[in-house]
Amino acid sequence: MQKSKHLPAGRKDRTMVLVDIRETKSVKASDVFLQVRPGKDFELITLLRAMLREQKVTDDQIAETGLTREQCVDFLDRAKAAKFGVFFFGMGLSMTRGKHMNSAALLTLAAELNAFTKFVAMPMRGHGNVTGADVIMRWQTGYPFGITFNRGYPRYNPGEFSTVDVLVRGDTDCAFIIGADPGATMPQPAIDHMAKVPTIVLDPHVTHTSKLAKVHITTAPAGIAAPGTAYRMDEIPLPLKPAIDSPYPSDEEVVRRINEAVAQKADWLGTRPQSIQHQPIS
Amino acid sequence: MSSIRLLLNPTRTAKQGVQVNIGKFSDEYIQMTTTLTCHADDMAAIGVSDGDSVRVRTEHGEAQFTCVQGKVPEGMVFVPYGPPTCKLMGGDTDGTGMPTSKGWEVDVEPVQ
Repeated sequence: MQKSKHLPAGRKDRTMVLVDIRETKSVKASDVFLQVRPGKDFELITLLRAMLREQKVTDDQIAETGLTREQCVDFLDRAKAAKFGVFFFGMGLSMTRGKHMNSAALLTLAAELNAFTKFVAMPMRGHGNVTGADVIMRWQTGYPFGITFNRGYPRYNPGEFSTVDVLVRGDTDCAFIIGADPGATMPQPAIDHMAKVPTIVLDPHVTHTSKLAKVHITTAPAGIAAPGTAYRMDEIPLPLKPAIDSPYPSDEEVVRRINEAVAQKADWLGTRPQSIQHQPIS
Repeated sequence: MSSIRLLLNPTRTAKQGVQVNIGKFSDEYIQMTTTLTCHADDMAAIGVSDGDSVRVRTEHGEAQFTCVQGKVPEGMVFVPYGPPTCKLMGGDTDGTGMPTSKGWEVDVEPVQ
């Protein structure tokens, strides 16, 4: 592990605390393992926040989370004594009961620990370039996901404009899937709607989504046979050079050609930027 | 043999991440996403032994898995995400955009 000016011994200077509902292979790599009861993340984080502020917390309240007072005190002591702490959190927080409230609680705990030391929280992202998608949407629209452009400008509302909700409600009459396989990961009602409407997929592989799509366009895999930029989990952009040639076009080229073809069509909705007439303020 | 209620936890695994890039129609990927890891006592309660088929039901759907014994807490079952777990998920996101796809109660019964 990386050695630095402030942590000359590398891994030995660092402490890894693992919180999970079961013992995974990561336990061997960690210094402390805290086995929390399923669905008690929000309670545990809230109790830790209370203990950090030296508020009264009962043993029964702590026991409900599956941990002991000693474990909680030890964790907070370690967190406060750290030179630079990071919470890495994943889908165990965001996809279980509580969802965004669990994540919000953890972000608050990280913020409050800054009264003692430097502390941040960082989401563990899935495979592929999930971080890149969020970052690009953020600087282009101001929002990371769950965005609609149906009024000609971006609006953000998770639960309304997010993919699963839009598909499950059946709001869309067409779906364009790029570099993702929702047919193998999303809830069945969302998959059923994609099968009903014309779905177009850009992917180097045949996927579960392409099996239900009306059109599958094979593209060159980004970073292998097509150039591009992947974002690291900490939002550092990594430019990628293709190592091999591909007979297939890149995702970017296909989207550009579709855009060009669409531009040739009549603007029957009158929604293209050049067709929006700006009214002078009187 | 009977149906019992357990907490289902679809997970991501490193092997699954590798298989995603090899192909989701490979035998290995299909086997991985249809293998349910269960506690020994829970398997005894369901009435199945290692390698038997079980049916998992939710209010939204059902799917069949191969049940294997593993080091998991009692009352919980684990399976890598995939098309079978999609069938068990509901479309409601509680207004968050995120479907509940971990830690929900399911009925597990042996396949006769």
